[in-house]
Amino acid sequence: MQALLDNLDRLWSGFLTTLGMSVAAAVIATILGTILAAFRVSPLPPLRALGATYVQLVRNTPLTAVFFIVIFGLPAVDVTFQNFFIAAIVALSVYTAAFVCEVVRSGINSVSTGQAEAARAIGLTFGQSLRDVVLPQAFRSVVPPLGNLWIALVKNSAIAGGGFAVADIAQLAPSLARDNPAQVLAIFGGIALAYMVITVPSGIAVGVIERRTAILR
Amino acid sequence: MRVRRLTAACAALGLVALAGCSSEAGNDATAPDATVPVEEEVQFDEGTTMAELAEAGAITVGTKFDQPGFGLVSPDGVPEGFDVEIAKIIAAKLGIAPEDIEWVETISANREPFLQQGQVDMVAATYTINDDRKELIDFAGPYYVAGQDIMVAAGNPLGVEGEESLADIRVCSVNGSTPAGYVQENYPDADLTLFDEYSLCAEALKNDQVDAVTTDNVILTSFVAQDPEAFELVDNPFTEEPYGIGIPKGDDDFRTFINDVLEESFEDGSWAAAWDATAGAITGAPAPEPPAVDRY
Amino acid sequence: MSSDQATRTKQPLVALAGVNKWFGDLQVLKDINLDIANGEVIVVIGPSGSGKSTLCRCINRLEGVQQGEIRLDGVLLPEEGKALARLRSEVGMVFQSFNLFAHKTILENVTLGPIKVRKVRKAEAEQRGRLLLERVGIAEQADKFPAQLSGGQQQRAAIARALAMEPKVLLFDEPTSALDPEMINEVLDVMTSLAREGMTMVVVTHEMGFARKAADRVVFMDHGKIVEEATPETFFTNPRSDRAKDFLSKILTH
Ligand SMILES: Nc1ncnc2c1ncn2[C@@H]1O[C@H](COP(=O)(O)OP(=O)(O)O)[C@@H](O)[C@H]1O
Ligand SMILES: [Mg+2]
Repeated sequence: MQALLDNLDRLWSGFLTTLGMSVAAAVIATILGTILAAFRVSPLPPLRALGATYVQLVRNTPLTAVFFIVIFGLPAVDVTFQNFFIAAIVALSVYTAAFVCEVVRSGINSVSTGQAEAARAIGLTFGQSLRDVVLPQAFRSVVPPLGNLWIALVKNSAIAGGGFAVADIAQLAPSLARDNPAQVLAIFGGIALAYMVITVPSGIAVGVIERRTAILR
Repeated sequence: MRVRRLTAACAALGLVALAGCSSEAGNDATAPDATVPVEEEVQFDEGTTMAELAEAGAITVGTKFDQPGFGLVSPDGVPEGFDVEIAKIIAAKLGIAPEDIEWVETISANREPFLQQGQVDMVAATYTINDDRKELIDFAGPYYVAGQDIMVAAGNPLGVEGEESLADIRVCSVNGSTPAGYVQENYPDADLTLFDEYSLCAEALKNDQVDAVTTDNVILTSFVAQDPEAFELVDNPFTEEPYGIGIPKGDDDFRTFINDVLEESFEDGSWAAAWDATAGAITGAPAPEPPAVDRY
Repeated sequence: MSSDQATRTKQPLVALAGVNKWFGDLQVLKDINLDIANGEVIVVIGPSGSGKSTLCRCINRLEGVQQGEIRLDGVLLPEEGKALARLRSEVGMVFQSFNLFAHKTILENVTLGPIKVRKVRKAEAEQRGRLLLERVGIAEQADKFPAQLSGGQQQRAAIARALAMEPKVLLFDEPTSALDPEMINEVLDVMTSLAREGMTMVVVTHEMGFARKAADRVVFMDHGKIVEEATPETFFTNPRSDRAKDFLSKILTH
């Protein structure tokens, strides 16, 4: 416990790093995943194939391997990032987008086909009918699974600090443990608690959003 | 776990010839048999750890699985290296054959808990003896003294000479390790990048994502030996890292026994033979003078 | 506009020529030839599964066809993309199950198309939308959500939504089949007045009263084929084909 209290400043900056990395990745993954989902339900076969390939490829790759590829594989083909923090956001976004895609796609499928047909019948393009009619209705059914993805993303971000050079909360634990070997349990417990400070309120917020949007129908 | 994960990443990539992806160094370097014959008849006082282990005919040893030259796991799951050979010498004196040793991977962060909770009987894992750790566990040895050093890109483009340079360059080490702690303590403003494996630091150095890697010289030497085209050792060690055998706290009989075994191996040449077959085979350097054990 | 008008009256507004359509191995439209003149009201009638809905859905290309040509105002239906979307905005469709946008108010349902497709300003679209809602008799429901309306009101809202696009032709696929009997007439009344105002309409329905009152022509389909075309009077009193006779006897006795 003392080890944590003595290092509150490092804990706080690590916490902000974890939060910033997670929020940035969540925003990018949500946008990218939704675009991919649109590909997957698109009338154009090449786009459908592209979406499906992305999901299969990324979803079946361990996250550490994705990190590894982004940080060490891409430089081999001259794609580099400004720093490891940005590279970590890229890795987390690329990885999470595959899961967002599948959640959004199942949300789209939960909206009756009549809605999309009526949208097309008044002359909306595929993109417009998705954006203005289908996705807003899919939103409600995807809030809980997207909430789960967000919580998983926050915890997955620990891989960035644990292994890949980002100074987040997870990265703090081993050095605190080294300097205070007698307090290892308290240190890891405190770190776990810091993650819960993000994830538990998120879970509650998801519940609230779900109830709010329920009134729509 | 860590090694396996990295191997999977390498397989997925198939493009990076990464030090951590191959265990060639360990394979080439390992002697086929224990350097010391296994004792046939052993006699220990009733109730000692030695008696218990000898009676069981088996011992559980924690070691690194990702440290070329000291403890690097081979594809069949058995680790190889200098730490491993030292553990085999100790086991042999307990009448335990190498195949009856159960190897458990220990990483920097879990060595003390594993000893305290009895998950391992002893730890030989590039384990630096220090006072903080001595409050939780006990050390036999040292059986080797390493020193923290710096590895840079071949040709040393930035002209790094020694530890003073750490303040001005992008330096990489392993999170939670003693060398990383040394940088954090003495150069708090250093641009320090922390991975969880040295092989990743080496890769980052190759990609020009960092300027230097710092840790114990023995670890760095194996990277340089594997890829002399890419890396170069500054060879100006600035700390002393005495490696000891970790055992549960308070087991003085066991500690004395191990110290005796170590001293015996220093004298009968088995220690030097173990070095030559492992770490020495990688670097090509002859065995150094053995250190003096510290019977505190 | 006036010279345009002249050519339009000569050439059919909707023209289907040699249309064949399959779902897998099942042929659901067989050699359909049908011209629909500007202002004409056609009632399509026939047993379940005979291809009536599919015919409607092909006219605004919610379904594609494998053979034959469908033209609107002399122009072949485009394949996909923006051009097709533009075409669809000129062909209104009213579904059996209303398909109002569940997350939007009735007014928003009616203004979405004009705003997004026709790029009409919101205020203007809302003003016209309210007029249309008034015309179908549900002005006071404008700010409610679809689920808060009765079936008859929903279907009238759906008609207003289609009208908001000022379509050249309106397709109705069994617009009253999902309604409770007491609500059928309020919808049919709206349709009848539309017909009277000169809207071109294709109506799939079994409502004989509406057909007699509003239709210029009845098209009888069976097994994917157009079996008979006649005025409502002729068709109901004196059907030529045995299949039409058989069908009429069934729906009249029930
Ligand atoms: N999307 C579809 N896939 C496969 N078969 C279909 C599909 N839609 C309709 N059908 C089949 O096509 C035939 C005609 O259907 P439909 O046009 O709905 O007839 P109707 O409206 O006259 O009842 C039926 O046999 C129906 O089962
Ligand atoms: Mg039908």
